[in-house]
Amino acid sequence: MSTDPIWEDTTTGADVPLTEDIAPGTANDPPAGSTEAATLTVDGQTVEASVGSTLLDACEAVETDGDVLALCSYDDEEQIGPRSECRTCMVETEEHGVVPSCSFPVEDDMTVSTDTESASEARDVNLDLILSNHNLLCTTCGANGRCDLQDVAIENDVEEPRYGVLHDRSQLEPIDDSSPFIQIDRNKCILCNRCVEACNDVQVEGVLRMEESGGETRIGFQNDADTMMDSTCVSCGHCATVCPTGALVEQGLVDATTLPVPGFTHKNSAEGIVGEDYERQRTQMTPMKREGDTRNEPRVSRPEPAATAEDDWL
Amino acid sequence: MLEAARDADASVATAAVGSTGHVGLEPLVTATLDGETAFFSECSPGRARSVTEALDGGTLPSEDAVAVVEHEPGAATLPVPDEGPLAVGERGVLGSCGWAVPGSIEDYRAGAGSLPTDLELADALSRLRESGLRGRGRGDASADAPVADEWTTASEAAGDPVVVVNANEADDRAAGDDLLLEGAPLSVLDPALTAAEALGASDVVAYLSEDADLARERVRAAADALVEARDPEASLRVVVGPDEYKAGEPTMALEAIEGNHRLEARRRPPGPSEYGLNGRPTLVHTPRTLAQVGRVLAGVDPGGVPADPGTRLFTVAGDVAAPATVELSTGATLSDALPAVEPEGSRKAACVGGVFGGVTRSLDVPASAPGLESARLGTNGAVELVGESTCMVALAGERAKFAREENCGRCGPCREGSKQLVDLLRDVYDGEFADGMLRELGRTMRETSLCGFGSDAARPVTTTIDVFETEFHAHADGRCPSGTCTKL
Ligand code: SF4
Ligand code: SF4
Ligand code: SF4
Ligand code: FES
Repeated sequence: MSTDPIWEDTTTGADVPLTEDIAPGTANDPPAGSTEAATLTVDGQTVEASVGSTLLDACEAVETDGDVLALCSYDDEEQIGPRSECRTCMVETEEHGVVPSCSFPVEDDMTVSTDTESASEARDVNLDLILSNHNLLCTTCGANGRCDLQDVAIENDVEEPRYGVLHDRSQLEPIDDSSPFIQIDRNKCILCNRCVEACNDVQVEGVLRMEESGGETRIGFQNDADTMMDSTCVSCGHCATVCPTGALVEQGLVDATTLPVPGFTHKNSAEGIVGEDYERQRTQMTPMKREGDTRNEPRVSRPEPAATAEDDWL
Repeated sequence: MLEAARDADASVATAAVGSTGHVGLEPLVTATLDGETAFFSECSPGRARSVTEALDGGTLPSEDAVAVVEHEPGAATLPVPDEGPLAVGERGVLGSCGWAVPGSIEDYRAGAGSLPTDLELADALSRLRESGLRGRGRGDASADAPVADEWTTASEAAGDPVVVVNANEADDRAAGDDLLLEGAPLSVLDPALTAAEALGASDVVAYLSEDADLARERVRAAADALVEARDPEASLRVVVGPDEYKAGEPTMALEAIEGNHRLEARRRPPGPSEYGLNGRPTLVHTPRTLAQVGRVLAGVDPGGVPADPGTRLFTVAGDVAAPATVELSTGATLSDALPAVEPEGSRKAACVGGVFGGVTRSLDVPASAPGLESARLGTNGAVELVGESTCMVALAGERAKFAREENCGRCGPCREGSKQLVDLLRDVYDGEFADGMLRELGRTMRETSLCGFGSDAARPVTTTIDVFETEFHAHADGRCPSGTCTKL
């Protein structure tokens, strides 16, 4: 048994938040996938799809004419996704027009084409839109060589994204280097939500959430912490495992695959770094985990008991 | 005003009613005596008092009245003058607005649209199906689509159904829903309760904006009266959500009612009729849709064109002295609404469909969903007149910026697309008008966004490019034709 304090048991009570306290900030989505098995046509090929299938499942069963990129979808069925936010998986159907294949349920007799002009344009433009908000410095990125975004960009022959990429250093968010286990670089985040689901739905830790809206949308912490170190994270690492990009990287891997360009490291790729002041984490549990809790304050009213205006708004 | 009239200490019955929809006439006082009604617009408290006194003395004052109308004594709907703004369009769903006491069951039942209380689902469905009625307003889960389809899906889905009245509309260019809730809440709530009963749903939720104080008060009162009159067991809740544009999107409405702390649209299909409030099959209709449903279920011939039967409410706003909401048959054209307002300056365009509406020069467009759609205009019931002094490029830019700031942040095409839309429009000011890229982006946002917000967000930009292309070129050349963009 190691004497490293990281193995000390410092728990004093239940740490796992009750699921109802978990506030991931994401919509209560309906189940995806079909309720019935179906036979459909994809690029002229007949596909038998089982119950629970999406069009992406059907597309993956055959050799498609167009590359259905499906960047944000997660293969594993472990309660993660389909979030259906990147819209790089669009295909054209005779019945419903252009639809996101990752979340669209298969229907009997559907006719799907992957390489029509509008489907390809939709995928190309949407991939470029995701890239437009991305700090595309692959050589210094902790996910270089094992990044889904890199893969689909190569697969889609992206040479120069039409809207450019995020490179203005003053617009970059500082890297969160506070946790000794996981580094967060939000400039690499595609907001796929996988980490949020892994943390809340799989680990039931209630640490991560989606926050803000519009261009400010970002992953954050349910206890309102600014840094990973101040969050209630237990460093299980699941979020980093499912992250498709270099946004969440295990500290040990941050520089594992970067190319040694002199003077260029991942840390200095962004303007600032937060959390450098934590020298060493003493326990596996972050300080906030012991005291903090998750947060789920409704933004809107519960049913009103009385008729006064103030009471309506809790 | 009511105080003033009551202060007159006369034995005259007075009541506060809702708006007629004509904001420019307000405060509007109507005085009725023996089948004759006089209208006093922009009425002062003093005038209201003297009108009451005259009535008390047994005469209907008509001096300085904007109109005097003869009608059946005890008419259940607003008597309409032959001319003037109040004569514009028809008054079917608006019939009791500005006339009946909003929460009064008696007044409501006296009106033409009162519903049978024991309608079977099959009966309701076949009436809706036969009528071909479509949903109205952007907050309706069956906006512009057949209402009967939504009801059928909800009735076939597993689970305890629920009915949501989505009245959260932060865009005050579209005032029709609030007008109904303030003036004739029972004509909305009664059909909602009927829908719930037909589906076997245990409850109805009215979802309003936190800022709609008057509507909420009147809905609350009407709901209490209705529940007491129809079914003391019925549950009719009033819930409010943020006064934000996105909060009116049907699935964000459900998220808000559930109490999610961050509003985000839901992925679909399946839509709310299968997976809605707390996963239950949910009908999400706007007040405007429900008012039409009420008339159809009550057996009133909805009129209008077969492709989109009934009437539609249009709020004419923008460069006008005061906005007005009027009801047009779907067989009418938008220009039929114009006499209801006093334009300010000469009109160069209109933006139809609210903040993300379509831009057009002509209002000779059918007032029906297919007519509006084929003119690439929005169907939410807002007609915003744009005067000569407005720069169309700047208008498109403002709308794009609104999209960039107000979107929920969930999906790429809308979140990132609106950002690029703003940037591409800024480039026009720097001399580069990339119209191909703007169109491509607009198409992608429309076709691939997850919800209606993103699908509509680029419409002001793309339609403005189509109609006012020369203004874009002029800006790229460093010149603003309307002289309002000074930074060029
Ligand atoms: S490492 Fe922390 S943030 Fe990531 S899933 Fe585990 S508990 Fe959640
Ligand atoms: S941090 Fe990674 S997993 Fe989480 S939303 Fe961003 S890209 Fe997805
Ligand atoms: S279209 Fe816009 S508002 Fe709708 S889900 Fe996407 S980001 Fe959110
Ligand atoms: S993979 Fe379908 S939307 Fe991202």
